[in-house]
Amino acid sequence: MATARPGWSRRAQYGLFFSFLAVIAGIIVGLILLALSIFAPAQFQGVRGAALDVTGPISGALHSVSSTVAGVFSGAGDYWDAASQNGQLRRERDAMRRQIIQARAIAQENRQLKATLQLREHQQITIAVGRVVGSSLSSPRRFAILSVGTNDGVRVGMPVRSADGLVGRVIDAGALASRVLLVSDRSNIVPASLLRGGIPVIAQGRGDGTIDVRPLEVGRNPFKRGDIIITSGTGGLYPPLVPIGRVVKLDDDGAVAIPLADPASTSFAIVEPPYEPQAAAETP
Amino acid sequence: MVRAALETRRRIGQGPKPLAIFVPVASVIVASLLATLPVVVANGWFPDFGFLALISWRLLRSDPWPAWWAAPMGLANDLITGLPIGFSVALWSATMLALDLADRRTMWRDYWVEWVLAAVLLALDEWLQWRVAAITGARVPPLAMVPPLLISICIFPLSAWVASRVDRWRLGR
Repeated sequence: MATARPGWSRRAQYGLFFSFLAVIAGIIVGLILLALSIFAPAQFQGVRGAALDVTGPISGALHSVSSTVAGVFSGAGDYWDAASQNGQLRRERDAMRRQIIQARAIAQENRQLKATLQLREHQQITIAVGRVVGSSLSSPRRFAILSVGTNDGVRVGMPVRSADGLVGRVIDAGALASRVLLVSDRSNIVPASLLRGGIPVIAQGRGDGTIDVRPLEVGRNPFKRGDIIITSGTGGLYPPLVPIGRVVKLDDDGAVAIPLADPASTSFAIVEPPYEPQAAAETP
Repeated sequence: MVRAALETRRRIGQGPKPLAIFVPVASVIVASLLATLPVVVANGWFPDFGFLALISWRLLRSDPWPAWWAAPMGLANDLITGLPIGFSVALWSATMLALDLADRRTMWRDYWVEWVLAAVLLALDEWLQWRVAAITGARVPPLAMVPPLLISICIFPLSAWVASRVDRWRLGR
């Protein structure tokens, strides 16, 4: 196809023409597939899941190598200022212990109050526990690859959290691995509230690893640096009271937060069933 | 000395490797597979390795593979990297067509022309990714796409060098 006319050979001319047609056909097929995957994403769930089953285990195997290497280096670094770290950690531990005793007392009081009000309690069920083995490297979207799939009971739409906070929700599930839409993705909108005062807010990813938080009521900016944002449970997909992020910067009508469950350092992530089961059917 | 350098040094056992026609395709798929590296990053600033390899090969030679092979290679890239299915199929086929037209138009080619062509194609790739993300509900600020674009433009010479080395290896030169 490089030259305009490959001489007088009819065969060569036809070959050129048909390869041109084949490329045009490739573009058209690609555009049709793209339109389908944008407007009817459920069409491709099977094939996307199967592809994850091929690539997920590769990432998983390489992950164990890289985490060992990284562990050796950070382990060596921890010895550097062990003495001063030790003192600091002791002080932190003592402060934590006092807070835990306080929190236990509050939890017990809370249980008694709820019992008197006869509120229905949700059980925390864990579907599967997996490792975060990879992420989208070159895309405005923020995805992570989780090392558990439908074999472990994971289904599309389930919320994913770690010990530190909310990670995201499952959007593709293969038999062995699944793809998670992180809370820092632009299209992931989480109903949330401020831990201090319980003001309802909306958390939306910014695509660069941070989260935009906006108050639901327009007006005074309720945020302060260091505020913790937690899920509110509204909408029924994410369980309530899961920490999402910490406010690091204020802007005119909201604030920027960084996720507490940093996917890069999260070793294990927990897949849970949707908080209200009927919410799973509604999420795309 | 000069004459010795001009002499063709044909040795027995040299020549194209078996399956040499499939080497470029295999290298593009390997480049796509770099996306499965166990790296967890906060922002997607890594280059689109598969697309970089594709344009490196296509700018190096006009016939690394029959032009229509770009569509199945794009499908493989979509499945591996998690892009919306069809994105790379359309973009890679269109790239083959566009570079064929560019081959007709350009009177001369040197490294700078190739780099500019590659930069234009990479910018198109980033812009289309941004558009598709915006349609699917993830409208990030357009400026967020500039750092990954600059990174991939800077990495293109390296990718072109790798493609030329692999080309010499597969042809046994």
